[in-house]
Amino acid sequence: MKDIFLIVGFLEIVLVIFMQWQIYLKKIVNTFSVSSYAISIFLFADGIVLNNTNLLILATLTAAVRGFFIPYFIKKRFKEHYLEREIKPTIPTAASIILSLIFVVAGYIIYHSTIYNSLNVLGGSIPIALLFQGIFLIISRDNAFVQLIGYMVAENSLFLFGGYLFPELPFIIEGGILLDLIGIVMISGIIIKLREENVSDIIDEFEEFKG
Amino acid sequence: MLYLLSLLQLLYVVLLSPLIIGIFNKLTEKFESKEGPSIFQPYYDLYKLFNKQSVIPKVASPIFQLIPYMTFSMYLFLTLVLPIITAFPLSFGPIVDFIGGGLIFGAIGALKKIASLDSRSNYAHLGTSRTSSIGALAEPITVLIFITFGVISHTNNPYVVNNIMQTSSQWYFSLVHWLVVFAFFMVLLLETGKLPIESHSNNEFGMIDQAIELEYSGAELALMKWGGYIKQFLLMSVFLNDYSVPFWVPMKVGFTSVLIYSLIHFLKMIILTFIFATIQSTISKYKLFKNFEYVAVAFAFASLAILVYFTTGGSL
Repeated sequence: MKDIFLIVGFLEIVLVIFMQWQIYLKKIVNTFSVSSYAISIFLFADGIVLNNTNLLILATLTAAVRGFFIPYFIKKRFKEHYLEREIKPTIPTAASIILSLIFVVAGYIIYHSTIYNSLNVLGGSIPIALLFQGIFLIISRDNAFVQLIGYMVAENSLFLFGGYLFPELPFIIEGGILLDLIGIVMISGIIIKLREENVSDIIDEFEEFKG
Repeated sequence: MLYLLSLLQLLYVVLLSPLIIGIFNKLTEKFESKEGPSIFQPYYDLYKLFNKQSVIPKVASPIFQLIPYMTFSMYLFLTLVLPIITAFPLSFGPIVDFIGGGLIFGAIGALKKIASLDSRSNYAHLGTSRTSSIGALAEPITVLIFITFGVISHTNNPYVVNNIMQTSSQWYFSLVHWLVVFAFFMVLLLETGKLPIESHSNNEFGMIDQAIELEYSGAELALMKWGGYIKQFLLMSVFLNDYSVPFWVPMKVGFTSVLIYSLIHFLKMIILTFIFATIQSTISKYKLFKNFEYVAVAFAFASLAILVYFTTGGSL
């Protein structure tokens, strides 16, 4: 199980670096979809090994909601507006790739100097690194959809963390799904709808979420 | 025996390196549904260039004319010290390790840049500037890759690395190894001037390494080109023998086994050339400033390899 966790964990880190590299929204969304499927495979394997039904349900929900539904919803949104290319990276792409890498190293150092002593799990730094990378993805792009994806990457890291280190902790599982649904589908849907109806003249609806 | 095998390796690389380029050119043309030149075209080109008169810029110093001979001989030296068709050190093998080989590659690059600056051509200067700025970012990746292999094998010797990769399935299938392979493959595309980094055409927009030898002609150009072919052959061989497919390389001294492996090695090279040609035909060239993003991703892979080693304690 440890090997699958490490492979999926490092695959996630590589995929986030790939997202930082891309300028096409469609590719970023597809990459996120792949990373969600990878997490669902990990949760599925974990569920089978530990004989834990919660994890199996979680794996199915992850694949359906984050692997399929949310990427489909986002792609449908920008298809209507013929907007596939991201316009404004706030931090230059090459610099953001290196910074993302630095955050991975920072995650490793922070984990090993803090909770590693009590957990004693070597791969525990991966979810922390992924959390930092997700947060960095949010601040490095001026685009509402990339920011949503950054938020979900950070959430994926929680799934990895909960699924591997605390598989018996159902609160994280349900909380994660709830946050997912509220954060992504409802809030973003409402905000985009409001922008479309009220402020579309002055603010581009794909602009970053602020104010 | 070892001297004989060294000579065999030298002839093998020097004579077959243009053929690999010929096959690559033929394949890329075939991908575009064209007939393409003969696979022996690089030999005809070299023959033609050796028979042509050299034109030297009036302002260039004697160094300009000397450097093609120096760089070519350095490539010949590298041919004798790297594991190409044997996994046991040949007569000159113990002279240098990975870092030593890297230094000689670096020295060749520096000499070429000096020559291009000496030519006083604006285009050659442009090439030098581009090569230096990309090389400054690509070199740390190569160093990181060597360090990772040093960590795995506790040595910097390419022969030992090959033996470990051949015999240890734990290391061969490890995540550390495959991240390094991926990083090295990206560097290989960069160093050999393939797409998406460089397109070999007559306009200066895509030129990087190509622009450096722009002022050369005649025998000097032939030597520069041939040296370039050997460089590509050597880097591809190192990638195949030490990184990606280190199998079947003879570990014990024997003439027949080396001869048989030469054929296998050439087959491996053709497969890698096919992969290169496929990439060349399916990917469009990056804008020049986008190359740095490509290098940053390669650097990320090489760094992650080291991080994986520390995270897993080398067990994955």
